[in-house]
Amino acid sequence: MAFRQIIVAITAACFLGLGFQTTASASVIGTQDYLAAEARASHLAGINAALSRADVQAELVALGVDPADAVTRAAALSDEELAQVAQEMRTLPAGGDGLLAVIGIVFIVLLILELTGVTDIFKKI
Amino acid sequence: MAGARAISWTLAAAMALGACTTRLPRVPEDPRRELTGVPFFPQTIHQCGPAALATVLGTTGVDVTPAQLAPGVYIPGRRGSLQVEMLAAARSHGRLAYVLAPDFGALRAELAAGNPVLVLQDLGALGIRRWHFAVVIGFDPDREVLVLRSGTERRRIETRNRFLRSWQAGQNWAAVITLPGQPPATANGSDFIRALTATERYLSPQQVAAAHAKALARWPEDPLVLLASGNQAYAAGLPDQAITAYRSLLAIDPGHVAGRNNLANALLDAGCAPAAMAEAERALALVETGSPLAAAVNDTLARTRAAAAVGSSVCGAE
Repeated sequence: MAFRQIIVAITAACFLGLGFQTTASASVIGTQDYLAAEARASHLAGINAALSRADVQAELVALGVDPADAVTRAAALSDEELAQVAQEMRTLPAGGDGLLAVIGIVFIVLLILELTGVTDIFKKI
Repeated sequence: MAGARAISWTLAAAMALGACTTRLPRVPEDPRRELTGVPFFPQTIHQCGPAALATVLGTTGVDVTPAQLAPGVYIPGRRGSLQVEMLAAARSHGRLAYVLAPDFGALRAELAAGNPVLVLQDLGALGIRRWHFAVVIGFDPDREVLVLRSGTERRRIETRNRFLRSWQAGQNWAAVITLPGQPPATANGSDFIRALTATERYLSPQQVAAAHAKALARWPEDPLVLLASGNQAYAAGLPDQAITAYRSLLAIDPGHVAGRNNLANALLDAGCAPAAMAEAERALALVETGSPLAAAVNDTLARTRAAAAVGSSVCGAE
């Protein structure tokens, strides 16, 4: 119960923050608004930033990210970045396995040697 | 029998490791060819993202450990970190995250300018992808090798060809993290403004103003730099300075709707209602129907008409 309230409070705070970002005067086109308009023009389908933000947040939680962290992480992405990851969070490159790669390659080499050279040694002995 | 088996396994392991290392030349640590001051954070399992990020952030003076960064970039279900989240996390520490042009020349130029380069590599083999973040800190053109802070290795040496192969799998993705007032060596004006705009909410007004001034000095003819400079001056309550920037922009691109619309607003604030109305009318003529900018343009026209109707014009900017 208390946990849920915390999440709601954080979400509300984030959306408030987003509201303040837009330019104070409605008649001036801020740089961020201009870039958003430009991006919308280039992506024919059109981006619904708020919707993708919720999608990304839910997807992060589904992939094991702490729900409170997921809120801040989704809020930290730009509209264009959201559009990039919203549909592809499970397929985009996720850098992480540098260590395992080396271990894996050594293991495969050992396996090959076991099946070829190593068994030969045993026959001779 | 068991002894013989153990010996053969050890031999095989030694051969396997030997095959990986024998061909690499010895590369002494040389401050002329390598950014020796870049910090090193050995990664724990799967966590090369946070480690590489701490490395590049540390270079720009952000004192943060991989463990502190992990909750912001690591995805347990993917056992790794996404590129865009790496950039977003760097921004939230008040730094500029700039994605380089996808070629080796840009990477080398950034190294020469003193910026370590965050890269995405595929270290997999036999068709299995193993994505990995590392930080390039040096290139030795004589030996044709790169030096990287990578995984658990403080100075990983890779031949140029091997590196290029592993880098190509991720479309040569590379990024630099810099202080907002220090544009990357290979940056262009428009992409710098995009990167700066994305990080502005984490910066002080002074830092934002300084970064825009830097951009304007370096790219005085880039339309987006001029628009952003004008907006920055306007937001800081300096309409005269904003007018100058918007007029420079319109001299280069007379059809720039946002530039003309914002010029009208700045003129209005400077007390030039008739000139403001004229610019607003031009902006309306330029804007395409259905454009997301149309609402702001209509708003501007209404504002300038109301002011012009009152009729007081005390204007030094016309």
